[in-house]
Amino acid sequence: MASGPVPEVAPAGPSPLRDRFASTTLHILGIALAAVSVGMLACALLEAATSRRDTLALGASALVAGAAGGLLWYLTRPSAIRKRDIFATVAWTWILTTVVGALPFVLAGTFAGPGADFVEQVVNSVFESASGFSASGSTVLTDFESPGRGLMMYRQLTHWYGGMGVVVLAVAVLPFLGVGGLELITAEAPGTTSDRLTPRVSETARRLWMVYIGFTVCAAVAFFVADGFSSLYDAVAHAFTLAATGGFSVHADSIGHYDSVAVETVVIVFMVLGGTSFSLHWRAVTTGRVPYHRNSEFRSYLGVLAVASAVIVILVWLENGLPLGSAIRGAVFTVVSLGTSTGLSNATGSGSPGDYVTWVAGAQLVLLFLMVVGGCTGSTSGGIKVMRMQVLGLVMLRSVQHSQSPRAVIPIRLGRDTVSESVVSRVAGFFLLHFMLVIAGLLAVTALGGDLETSLGSVVSALGNMGPALGEAGPTSNYAVAFSQPARLVLALLMIIGRLEILPILLAVVPYVYRSKDLARVARR
Amino acid sequence: MVSWALASIVDAGVVLGVATMLCGLAGIGDDNADAVAFACVGAVLAALAAVARRRVAPPERPGTGRVFAGIGLLWTALVLFGTVLYAGTGSLARLDDALVESAAGFTTTSLTLLDAAEVSRSVLLFRAATSWVGGLIAVWIGVVTLPVVLRSTALIGYTTGRRGLDLVPSASTGRRRVLILYSGFTAACVIAYLLTGLGVTEALVVGLGTVSTGGFTGRADSLAGYGGATQAVAGAGMLLAGAGIFVVWWIARGRLRPLLRSQELRTYVVLLAAATAAMALHRGIGWGEAGFMAVSAMSTTGFAVVDWTAWGTATTVILLVAAGIGSMMGSAGGGMRVMRVQLLMGSAGGELRRQLDPYAVVLVRRDDETLSQRTLDRLGGHQVAYVVLVGVGALLLGVSGVSLLGSVWGSVSAVTTFGPAFGEIGAFGLLEGVDRAERLALVPLMMGGRMSVPPVLAGVGLVMNWYKAAVRRGRFSVRSASRRLEALVESRSGDG
Repeated sequence: MASGPVPEVAPAGPSPLRDRFASTTLHILGIALAAVSVGMLACALLEAATSRRDTLALGASALVAGAAGGLLWYLTRPSAIRKRDIFATVAWTWILTTVVGALPFVLAGTFAGPGADFVEQVVNSVFESASGFSASGSTVLTDFESPGRGLMMYRQLTHWYGGMGVVVLAVAVLPFLGVGGLELITAEAPGTTSDRLTPRVSETARRLWMVYIGFTVCAAVAFFVADGFSSLYDAVAHAFTLAATGGFSVHADSIGHYDSVAVETVVIVFMVLGGTSFSLHWRAVTTGRVPYHRNSEFRSYLGVLAVASAVIVILVWLENGLPLGSAIRGAVFTVVSLGTSTGLSNATGSGSPGDYVTWVAGAQLVLLFLMVVGGCTGSTSGGIKVMRMQVLGLVMLRSVQHSQSPRAVIPIRLGRDTVSESVVSRVAGFFLLHFMLVIAGLLAVTALGGDLETSLGSVVSALGNMGPALGEAGPTSNYAVAFSQPARLVLALLMIIGRLEILPILLAVVPYVYRSKDLARVARR
Repeated sequence: MVSWALASIVDAGVVLGVATMLCGLAGIGDDNADAVAFACVGAVLAALAAVARRRVAPPERPGTGRVFAGIGLLWTALVLFGTVLYAGTGSLARLDDALVESAAGFTTTSLTLLDAAEVSRSVLLFRAATSWVGGLIAVWIGVVTLPVVLRSTALIGYTTGRRGLDLVPSASTGRRRVLILYSGFTAACVIAYLLTGLGVTEALVVGLGTVSTGGFTGRADSLAGYGGATQAVAGAGMLLAGAGIFVVWWIARGRLRPLLRSQELRTYVVLLAAATAAMALHRGIGWGEAGFMAVSAMSTTGFAVVDWTAWGTATTVILLVAAGIGSMMGSAGGGMRVMRVQLLMGSAGGELRRQLDPYAVVLVRRDDETLSQRTLDRLGGHQVAYVVLVGVGALLLGVSGVSLLGSVWGSVSAVTTFGPAFGEIGAFGLLEGVDRAERLALVPLMMGGRMSVPPVLAGVGLVMNWYKAAVRRGRFSVRSASRRLEALVESRSGDG
């Protein structure tokens, strides 16, 4: 555990920063909370300008989050970061942001339905917040009409914050963080490595956010046009979801509400782009060339989506007896939605062509596979990621070759690049941990009363940040119906673990395990 | 490849021929037509195999690919033999049904289409014997063939490692010792069943099903209708069968030290205890029933004393996980195997540690051996292949019309050679209610699971090599044809 501390990063010489408490964890948490409070405040203003129902709840939440964040930001300074602190920073920032992010729902009484006590309201609020920040899109909201526009926009905004990551945002505003900053981004960003777009880490973080904002604006404009210029509010709300590959919608029946091929086409295009690496988007924008086709991960990603769509179209056309047009529309939208971990639905009601829980088991199994895979590394999507699946497939092929000649040295290549053995074993380890977490989650959720099909789908969905799952938690249903309160909390935790790609949460705990082992060894002596 | 595969098939043929002949002889007086058919076929097979055994000499140092491909051919030959016999004797009217029954038997999967009340004693015993032979061959492959014949430490993840040396000093001695131990264990089980009051045929059928982890009883409700004593013997037998031939060897030799030192055995017992406690405490199921089903799942035997599919979802998940982990190395059971799961967990823990300290040297040990990163990587590849096999299996079942849960459970159960499953198949592994396409989809899964994946990978590798060679040949012939054409054109233009 002797990871060397990164050199002190605070600026040299006399500075007011010197007098502040040195803690990168608290500093980053402060910035994250302050950023979230800005979003809350903006939504409070929107609420005040429209329905005014939840203005107070949003305003008070903004005040609390802003005060807490501002104080932490002001009273602390970033310090030397050790490896274990990096993971702890990311893990705690996410957990506490999720908890604070649940405040508007609690204060507005969003989940105060008939028979819902305070504990249930808090659990549901935390679930909704975790689902929002982790860009999952699973919901326990049943009444989409009562909350005001500001609160619903805040719900969409949680996706947007979580999509690119609150820690990346914090790093973007920190002037000096050096190597530790890149590791913070790596710990939060989805994928095996984090592309350094510029030599300076904060500049990299800033550029990532610039691409993200640009993407969101484009999505909003396209949605607005496709929807016939009917609602800017809807367009912006869905743009947040599309950029983050989230899954929340302002309508109970999601994209099915519009029942429009034009809207669905735009949504499909932006879901595919949202599941693509943002570094590729940055290169496309800055160089003016289209780099996508040269990227082997992107090619595989499109290949997976195309093959899965074709298989499901055939299955639902032949086995479910849907008309070919409806089969294509339902299958392609659902495949792209789950394959990019977005989770939006074009089902217009229970049993409609887009309601995939009514499809044959083979089609649902393909969807389950897509939920595991997810999008590309460096994108806002969840899942194991296409690149990791490529590496795992090549590891399996290498096993085939080793069964012929066990001593052969066979490197793993992705496109023209050779993948280092350390990355290969990291990917294998990640896959194993993911697999173990699915089993542990399944055991926990079924023990807390979930039925097997719904639990399996929901655990895979939560870890992959998909949103809708199978069985009772399908696209036209709701997690409140399918799971007990404790099971919802387990799923909320799994969503955060999945968003952070497992390691930060586990590694925030592991040092204590090793420390306790060392203590036990000393005690034995 | 052919010589090695042939030698293995001949060896297995001797055992299978004798077993089939004995089944025929035991059936005399019940259904003589079946009895004569089984006895004659068995005698001919045993005689042919014995003659061939003197003429076919396996190569001294066969290549790894050849061995794996040979193992694949061996299992295929066994299943085809059983299919022909079931169909030929009219025990199962349809060839596809015979194929499913034969595959379930030889792969020691507790699935069946046979109705004990309808079939003769010879058929019943032959069905049990297929499991027994399948179990024996699985142990031979795991304990003798891979570690001794291949002598490759690179395959350590698939084999039993150093602890096998005292049981298997050489291939021939090892094979003989394993046969003696396996037979002795079977005899002890059958005697124990006789003492609990079972008839001879029943004791034989259940005894063969216990030792081989085949799980066949000949009754529609598995062991549910039997007395407590019989169930207790079955539980103890499954525990030992799942622990593997090394534990039987240590017990037979009275060696306590290796028993206590075996990390894998400790984990096996702890996991069983945990699964039992979790089921008993969570759902209030009786400790006896919970323990029995935990052993049945983990040893992948498939016996049932109760319809556990009605126990609730969490308990069925526990059983699914237990079957997925499977038995110990060196046993006739299936699943991922306790040892591999242990090593993979160690490897994952090492990865976590390396995240905190990239320069940390993390050693993963198995008993007193330290495994190389190469071996661990290979195990990772094996794990991926295993998961892919389960995934493809679930998809096959799903496409053929099984429900979502039935597909996932059925695939895991077939690949681990457990048998019973949540959904259409049910707690007692009866395939009557399952469609033909779905039954057929189970065959490659049972075979792939029984072979523990590497032979499947070797088969895929061979196909890939043949394909590459064919492409190369095709390119070469196209090139030479074009050259010839060019030469012809040139000569004609020269003539002109």
